[in-house]
Formats: sequence, C-alpha cells, structure tokens
Amino acid sequence: MFCYQCEQTYRSDHANGCATSRGVCGKDAQTADLQDLLIHELKGIACYAKRARELGSVDNTVGGFLLYGLFTTLTNVNFNAARFTALLQEAATLRERTQQRCTAAAQQQGVAVGPLAAPAHFVPASELGQLLQQAPQAAITVGLQEVGEDVVGLRALILYGLKGVAAYAHHARMLGQESDEVYAGVEATLALLAAEPTDADQLLEEALALGRLNLKVMELLDAGNTGSFGAPQPTQVRLTPVIGKAILVSGHDLADLAALLEQTAGMGINIYTHGEMLPAHSYPELHKYPHLVGNYGGAWQDQQQEFAAFPGPILMTSNCIIEPQPRYRQRIFTTGPVGWPGVRHLENHNFSPLIQAAQALPGFTTVPEQEEQITIGFGRSAVLGVADSVIEAVKAGAIRHFFLVGGCDGAAPGRNYYTDFVRQTPQDTVVLTLGCNKYRFNREPLGSIGEIPRLLDMGQCNDSYSAIKVATALAEAFECDLNELPLSLVVSWFEQKAAAVLLTLLALGIRNIRLGPSLPAFITPTVLERLTAAFGLRPITSAEADLAAALGRSAA
Amino acid sequence: MTAAVASMAAKQHEITLLTRDGQRRPILCGEEENLLAAATRQGLTLPSLCREGSCGACHARALEGEYQLGPHSTSALSAEARERGEILLCRTAPRGPLTIVVEQDLAAMEAPAPTERSAEIVALERLTDDTVRLELQLSATAEGSGIQFEPGQYVTLTLPAGGVTRAYSIANTANWEGRLEFLIRRQPNGRFAHWLASAQLGEPLQVCGPNGSFVLDEASLSPRWFVAGGTGLAPILSMLRWMGELQAPQPARLYFGVNDESQLFAMEVLRDLQLQLPQLQLEICLWRPQGEWQGFVGTPLAALERDLPEALARGEQPDLYLCGPPALVTGVEQLATSLGLAERLRSERFLPN
Repeated sequence: MFCYQCEQTYRSDHANGCATSRGVCGKDAQTADLQDLLIHELKGIACYAKRARELGSVDNTVGGFLLYGLFTTLTNVNFNAARFTALLQEAATLRERTQQRCTAAAQQQGVAVGPLAAPAHFVPASELGQLLQQAPQAAITVGLQEVGEDVVGLRALILYGLKGVAAYAHHARMLGQESDEVYAGVEATLALLAAEPTDADQLLEEALALGRLNLKVMELLDAGNTGSFGAPQPTQVRLTPVIGKAILVSGHDLADLAALLEQTAGMGINIYTHGEMLPAHSYPELHKYPHLVGNYGGAWQDQQQEFAAFPGPILMTSNCIIEPQPRYRQRIFTTGPVGWPGVRHLENHNFSPLIQAAQALPGFTTVPEQEEQITIGFGRSAVLGVADSVIEAVKAGAIRHFFLVGGCDGAAPGRNYYTDFVRQTPQDTVVLTLGCNKYRFNREPLGSIGEIPRLLDMGQCNDSYSAIKVATALAEAFECDLNELPLSLVVSWFEQKAAAVLLTLLALGIRNIRLGPSLPAFITPTVLERLTAAFGLRPITSAEADLAAALGRSAA
Repeated sequence: MTAAVASMAAKQHEITLLTRDGQRRPILCGEEENLLAAATRQGLTLPSLCREGSCGACHARALEGEYQLGPHSTSALSAEARERGEILLCRTAPRGPLTIVVEQDLAAMEAPAPTERSAEIVALERLTDDTVRLELQLSATAEGSGIQFEPGQYVTLTLPAGGVTRAYSIANTANWEGRLEFLIRRQPNGRFAHWLASAQLGEPLQVCGPNGSFVLDEASLSPRWFVAGGTGLAPILSMLRWMGELQAPQPARLYFGVNDESQLFAMEVLRDLQLQLPQLQLEICLWRPQGEWQGFVGTPLAALERDLPEALARGEQPDLYLCGPPALVTGVEQLATSLGLAERLRSERFLPN
C-alpha cells in the first residue's frame, strides 16, 4: 500500500506516506490496495460516461455510483475489504454497461468511441490474490520515476479533492439534489486523471476548476439541507444528557438522522448528535422532534472512549469511524458508505436493529446536575439576517476583525494551536467556525459584541458555502474585494473534504489562508511555492504570531 | 475447555499510570512490549489509532523511570516534546519501573470485567445420548437486557448450590433478548452433567462472562475453514451464525466430526444455516459409522489431510478455526504447521470437565 491522502499520514525525515501493512488510520494494506483498484475502475467507467455524454447519451445513475465509490475511499469511511471486492465486481459490470451505451451512441452518430485511456480497458481479476497483484498499476504514485513528485502530487491533489467533492455530492443526492453539471464534472475529472496528465500548469488549473465545481456541489448540498429541513436558526443545544434510552448518531448525513428521528418518534428513545452531526439541531425540521435532545461527546478522534461510555447504540453515517473497541463493537452500526469488518451494516434506512438495541440497553440513568448548553446555527441566513448590525459594528470600530477558524479536527498534539488561537483573539473580533475543529473551542466563553456573539458556529464543513456567501455579501456591502475584508481564514484540515473546500477557496481567489496543523504530504515544496506565490497560502506557525500578522495586515 | 493463556517470559516492570482524575493504575509491561499493548492486554482502553508511532493519539508523559522510545513520526512527537519527557505509549518500552501520566480518567480506561448475571433455563433438549442443548434467559441488569459477546467466546456457568463452575462456549450470537445457547456433552460422573440430567425449566444458574480470544479474524478475506469435534461445534456455530447475520462473503466450509451416527446432532440447524450462508460447504465426518453412511469416514483431521494440500496447490490459503478434543486439536495444529498455515490457525481445546 501507499497512501498519503490525510493529514495524519506517516511522516519522517526520509519519506512521507503510509507504506507498511497498516495505515495510520487503521486501514490495512489489502483494503488500501482494493480501494486503489476501485478508483482505477471508476476512472475507466468515467472515460466511457464522459464520452457517452459528449455523444448525447446521459445516465446519471453512473454518476451516483461514481460518487458513492469515491466516498467509500475517504479517510475513516470504509475499512471493510469484503465491501471493496463486491464494489469492484459492481464497477466491472457498470463499466461494461457504460461501454455498451457509449458504443451504441457512437455508432448512431457514425463516430469512434476512442481512443480512451488505459483504465477504460482494465479488467479486474476475479480471484483476490490476482486482484492484489493488479494493484500497483492503480497506485497513486504510478509514473513517479517518469514525471516526478510534483506532477504525482498535483494528480493526488485533484483526486483527493474529487473525493471530497464526491462526498458532498453524495449527501446532496441523498436529499434529492443532483445536477448534470456536477456529474459531468466528476466524470471529466476522473477521465482527466485516467489520462495521467503530466503538465503541472494544466494540473493546477484543473485543481482550481475542481474547486469551482465544489462550490456548485456545496450549493446543491446547501439547497438539499435547507430545502429539506429549513434554514438553520440560532439554537441552544444541550451538551449534558437526559435520563432515558439513547441513540447516538455520528457523521454528516442529515437524511439518515431525519429518517431515524421519524422512526423513533414517540418511542421514548432520545437521539443525540455526535461530531459533525451537531449542526442538525439548528435545522427547524429536525429541531422540531422533541426527542432530538442534545449533543454528546467531542470530535471524532475521541470516539473510542466516548462511545464506550455511551449507554446506547451508535450509528455512523459517514466519516470518521475508527476501530470499534470491544466495549461497544456489538452496539455500533454503520450505514451508507461506512463499513468496518464484523460490524453490523444497515441499509435503506432500515434502523430496526438499532432501535431494538436502544430498547435493550439502559440509556442514561443518571445525569449531571448542572446542565450545559451552547448556541449554534449561525448559517448565512442567520448572519445575513443581522447584516446591518454587523456592518454598523464594523464601521463603528466595535468589530475590528473576523476570523474563520474551521475545518477538521484530529489527534495530532499540534492541533491545540486552534484552541490557543481562538482564546487569544481580541475582544473586538468575531470568530466564525465550521467543521469538527470547533470542538477545540466551542465551549469557550468568548462573550459578545453588542448583540453579536463573538463565536458564531456556521455548521458542518460543507457550510463553508454559507461562509463564502456571508463574506461575499459583506464585500458587496463594503464595496471591496473579498481579500480586502477584515477577514482571516485559519483552516484546519484532516481529510479530503477539506482539500475540496481549500480548492474552492483558492478558486475564488481568497488569499493568505493559514493551513495546519501540517501541510498535506502530497503538496511538494515546489507546488507549495507556487500556491504561496499565487494565493499567499502558508502553514500555521504559532497562535501569537499568526494573530499578530492577521491583525497587523488588517490594521495596515 | 480452556482459554488461551498468554505466556510472558520476558522480564516485567511495574508501570504506574497516573490518570487525569488523579488515580493510580498499575500494570505490568515487559521490555519487549510497548506500554499500549501491555495496557490493552491488561484490560485497559487507551486512545490509539495507528499503533505505529504516527498519529500521536496515544500521547502521554513519563514522570519518572527509564524507557526506550522506538521510531515514530516527528509530527506525532517532536524532539522538543521528547526532551520534556513526552512519549507515545505505542512506541515506549520500559527499562525499569515507570510512572506515566495519561490524559484519561480511570473509569474511561477500564474495560468492563466479565459480568456475573443470573439466568434461568428456558430450553433443555436432549440431542443424543450424551449431548444436550441448553438455552438460558439472562435477567436484565443495569447494563440492559441484551448480551454482547464476540462469536466464539465462552461464559462460565455456576450451579445454584454453588461450588460447581464450568466454562462453555456460546453457540448463538450476541442478541438484545439476553438469550444464551450451549451444546453440552454430558460427561460420565461429571457433577455438572449429573445436575443437568435432572434439571428443570426455570431452574436458575449464575453466568459469568464473556471471555476468550477464540474469535473470527473479521478483516481477513481468506476462505474460512471450520473444524469441530463433537460439542466443539458450539463456538463454530456461533461464528457461522454471525457470518450469516452479516452476510459475510468469505467462502466457508465446516468439517464436523463425531464417532458415529448416534452422536450426530444439530444437522437441521446446519442445513438451515446453509440457506442463510449458501457458500457454506458441509463435510460431516464419522469416525466409525454403524450403518450405510454415504459421507466421509474418518476424523475431521483425515478429511483435512485430504483437502488442505489440494487447496494449497490451488493457491487457496484458508483461515482455520478449530475447536474440539485435545487429540483433534493437536493433530490439526501439527498438520497446519507442516503446511505452513500455523499463523492462520485459531483453536480452542475442549476438555472433559
């Protein structure tokens, strides 16, 4: 195996990347190789799907499979090798079907199908040992000796960004939001990677194009979320449990949560959100369920202890799952793209086994005396609803600066930077946040400026769309460029959705983003130099220095 | 039946874990072992992800004592942090007694000890002259009504009068109703067997567990070959039922051996299982059939001696799961070792008691 797609990948003075029998995330070499092969097959399908689309034959169920397949390979989503052997066979069947459709369309128009890149002709072996022998041709490092690490790294940037795009698009699809433009973009990007491009300039341009595609995808997901569940509203969320039976829902998929809330209504089972599911409480159509009682625990990396202590079953709807421990292995369930060998998997919103487990388990029998709450739900609708006050506060000097501190959380000790940063932000500044990085500081008593809270939780990582809309509206109000706003972005990345969001921000021309806790291992020094020159992208240093730099720039 | 017992020949040092809530939890750790592995072995759950010195999740601090810190990623533990005595538990081996400050509360670290629960007999069925199927209903506890265990694990049963405790593998799978099923061979002159002979529905028993490390390698895609001698079928049945529940895709075959036709049991259960797990192949082995037996004649070991080399020649490397009497276990272990499959063999001995 070789994988360097996430922030926690193995790093040393000599080489970066997980290349032993088991990745840092817990993914074994066999599963990693099968995931590489799946990506290779998806590229092959995309070659035919793109060509067929050009010839006027469109089948967006193919796009749905591409999204799902890519999503399963994100960090901390699916560790079940058996799932990938099945997906490889499904992909082979779909490739054949798409090839036939493409050929028919070409014949009808009297043109040739090809030539198409090598993955279009790849046939996976039917036996596991032979399949694993095919894996090297599908590795992310293919062609390294010939094209060098910059080009391989840029291809990786596009592939990993595409995985993030696919995850968001899959969530949107689950809420009924699809678009030809998105499917065409996903197919085109996979087909581009299938052709193994070697021009660094072209690759950089394609990466930014993918960022623009991701903006469209986040818009779709936003429409899915707000269309299904209403616009997020500032909402008090209980952080302490209540007595009674309990189910914990983790991950990002609001459609799964909505289905579970409906199925458990009136049953005396309380539902708790975990990790990135926290923003669910701010959506009126989810908040209306009285048994959606609160949020439990912190960010994903603390789950082994928190799940062990939770007195009910747990549902994982997307990343991040890490190895279930014996104390809760029998009461954790996966759904959608998620999987772990030996863990029960639920499909098609059939949550009966989960509910049965909740009824058999004790739930909370004691609770802390002191109830704790936080306020969330400052999406674009809520923030822009008080835009006049915000603009007035800026003009009057009451708000000197905005910080967007958001992204993923993780286990690395250096992530305390984000806590330190937020704690040290001056009283006349406002912190916007999104993603699970917020658990580093969302209980901090930052206070408010007039009626505007100093800490505004905008939602999940995909609610970067909301942040962009707010920033754009402020720029319009102040009649300035986005980069001229008193706004600094301090981004924490861990997995591939953050890569997609970063590409979107860069595609929008946003400069001087601080990225941490460490830069992606696939961004080579040369590529970083170019990104720094073009966008001022730079790594975080210390909270003190970065704050001073941001405020100095603001004051200048 | 006995559980596997780890032998720790290497020198053990006393390690004191100072927890976040100010408690001290001693563990033992050898010089060839890392602190995380030692803590896990002794029933503690500490944060860990990669266990290879890369992620930093098992970060802790050595307060006093000598230790060896193995290779690790500098992003998980910097040189400056090392200087301050910070460590990664997965990369730290003791060179003497150690005091380690960990970032967790004790309660969160401690895995639950096997719990004791009362139960009553809800089914008792004679399967053959000397084999019975026992089903128990556990009483609900503060932890709920269900029973959670890994397929292949066992519990101990204690008679109501006390004094007699026996370990039996569980034949069904984890469930939320609190049902436990066992296949029990009645040993002549056995005290438990003597009690069982006259036991009635509704009679109470004490159950303690689960225990045991004879469990599936869930991550393996290799074919699973199960070998059961007599009531050694119980944990194997649990594993097969679990595969059926999960719709596990691995090819599976079961070699089930008894002496003769009169000792055969659970055949209907196995045939039902094949409906749920169509890839399951059954090889019923009779050592000394009394009638017109059409199946394999001989022990499961003999059947394996016939089939395993052929499988290996085909390039198939099955995982082997084995439970039965000592002679069968020893024989299959020797065969597996001679064929280079020792690392793929998981076994549990079934001892008369």
